[in-house]
Amino acid sequence: MKRLIEKLVTISSPSGREHAIREVIAGEIKPHVDEMKIDPLGNLVALKKGKSGRKLLFDGHMDEIGVVVTHVDSKGFLRVDSIGGLSPYMLLGSRLIFETGASGIVDVEGETVKDFGEAMKSLDYDHIFVDIGATDKGDAEKKAPVGTFGTYDSTFVDLGKRLVSKSMDDRIACAIMIQVVKELEQPEDDVYFVFAVQEEVGIVGASVAAFDIMPDMAVAIDVTAGPDTPKSFKRMGFKLGGGPTIKIKDRGSISSSRVVTRLKEVAEKRDIPTQYEVLIFGGTDARGYQTTGRGIASGTVSIPCRYVHSPHEMVDYDDVLNAVRLLKALAEEGVE
Amino acid sequence: MKLERLKKLCELPGISGFEEKISSFIKETVEDRVDKIWIDTVGNLIALKKGNGKTSKKLMLLAHTDEVGLMVKKINEDGTLSFTNIGGVDPRVLMGKKVLVGESLTPGVIGFEAIHTQDRSSILKTPSMGKLKIYLGYSKKEEASKSHRIGDPVFFDTPYNEIGDYAVAKSLDDRTGCEVLIRVLESLDGTSTDFDLYFAWVVQEEVGLRGSGVAANQIKPDVALVFENTTAGDNPELPDYRWATSLGRGPVLTFAHSGLVLDKKILDTIVETAKSNSLSFQYKSRIAGGTDAARLARVISGIPSGVISTPSRYIHSPTSIININDFLGVAKLASILVKEGKVLSR
Repeated sequence: MKRLIEKLVTISSPSGREHAIREVIAGEIKPHVDEMKIDPLGNLVALKKGKSGRKLLFDGHMDEIGVVVTHVDSKGFLRVDSIGGLSPYMLLGSRLIFETGASGIVDVEGETVKDFGEAMKSLDYDHIFVDIGATDKGDAEKKAPVGTFGTYDSTFVDLGKRLVSKSMDDRIACAIMIQVVKELEQPEDDVYFVFAVQEEVGIVGASVAAFDIMPDMAVAIDVTAGPDTPKSFKRMGFKLGGGPTIKIKDRGSISSSRVVTRLKEVAEKRDIPTQYEVLIFGGTDARGYQTTGRGIASGTVSIPCRYVHSPHEMVDYDDVLNAVRLLKALAEEGVE
Repeated sequence: MKLERLKKLCELPGISGFEEKISSFIKETVEDRVDKIWIDTVGNLIALKKGNGKTSKKLMLLAHTDEVGLMVKKINEDGTLSFTNIGGVDPRVLMGKKVLVGESLTPGVIGFEAIHTQDRSSILKTPSMGKLKIYLGYSKKEEASKSHRIGDPVFFDTPYNEIGDYAVAKSLDDRTGCEVLIRVLESLDGTSTDFDLYFAWVVQEEVGLRGSGVAANQIKPDVALVFENTTAGDNPELPDYRWATSLGRGPVLTFAHSGLVLDKKILDTIVETAKSNSLSFQYKSRIAGGTDAARLARVISGIPSGVISTPSRYIHSPTSIININDFLGVAKLASILVKEGKVLSR
């Protein structure tokens, strides 16, 4: 499964530019599903038929955070703005890859030491610029014109038990879902797999993906914090390697107790390690499903992840494998 | 006067929640040209111009009828009115401005302490909204209460004016969009499109994109084009890379804004259409700020949109400025897009 993860995280597909990642996912799952479609916003929705007449939905978002070119100056330097929650601090020392193939590095303005210091203190997108090696404006506009999207350009690293890359948020969920699609032979319920668009700019795809489906239960799969690093948020008590988490709440939603209870039941039945999660910030696609139509019982299964929204997000491989087991268990046991 | 009807639209009072005058004016203007027209429960004005039946597709053109303004929050003992903002209003643009209060449109002014009596240190400081009051000429609460009450809408009182290629007015956001829709309808001149064409003049955009989702639920369009008025930011004190847009460079196209990345295929179609018709255009180069497109993406099964705007300086103030040619460019681009219908090919 590590090769699948590497394949997915290597693709650059920020919010609204999910074409490349969607094509790869569609290719992976097509032979294993009964139906597959792309909806008006670009969500990839696949169905594996079950026997109970009930419907279960799994969601992972395809998009990743990124940047977009907003200005090209006379010397060929670019200005960018963020797509999703990408801190400008994360860009310092990072390399960017644009959809045109251009590669860029980032630095900070400052005409005096004092100016530079102040810019560094409260860094914003108005004080950083991107150098794509262009020689002048015309050259830059050929390589990355205004409106060109980009992402981090960082590589996948296999540290054994721990894996590091950009866009583990949320390609790790895409990988888990693809694996479930491939391994799942006899689901109890109809299982819908939604690979959603534009989560990072505000839960766009998941707000509408289930409108025509109205499943009995929706489970979003996403990364959560990894609060087990030195002096990390002490109010959160889960860790990497402790198993996928069953989310109780975050800022976006409070998981339906039905979903929490059912996940815990099947995890215990199959002896799968899980942790409970209360996240004091953040939100997932579960928020979109919970308020779709007349309402859907929704929850989230998370993969603890250190350094979320950085170019180097770290997850634990056992948590990933256990998440596959947990989702498979739920699909086989059914929502009731 | 180059834009008589835009003048009329801008001078009509219509803060969020009080858009009736705008919708009835538009209704009267367009009803002879459409096949069906109605005002829905929340106050959206929706019109259908039926297609020739070649396809079953639906295109929705959308603009919002509401403008930012104020609302009476309290009638004070001294007969003055305290107020809150409806939509995003910077208190700095309010001091010394003329307003119209209530459905009766009673003229008033927003006063502030005279410069003579202010401490040097407080000059140019931003007062909180709570410190500003509306003076209508009453001296007692009882007097003011006879014709006013808590909840009275307060409108900016700015006559529309044109100077050369520029127009100054309140509520250009989004009466320019409202007028674009009317002009598209007129440009069809009775001919029909290959698809059903819906026009939605929607309420309460400024307080949280509230009308557009309701309109979309009644129409269920395949694609929407949102016509907006957007921030210029081409102030001389800012370097040009910080300008969101600038006046005189043509219609503004949006690739991403708050809460949504706009559909790439629709954006590409708009860009190609502008280029092939030699129309100038510019991109909005800041992601901040949103439009009804963010709501449309989140209703029913998700409606993909394009956003085309007229740029405006001093937007959300009583005196905003547009370049008339930018506006005419938006109207022309809109008419071509509707006639060609390419934005519907998915």
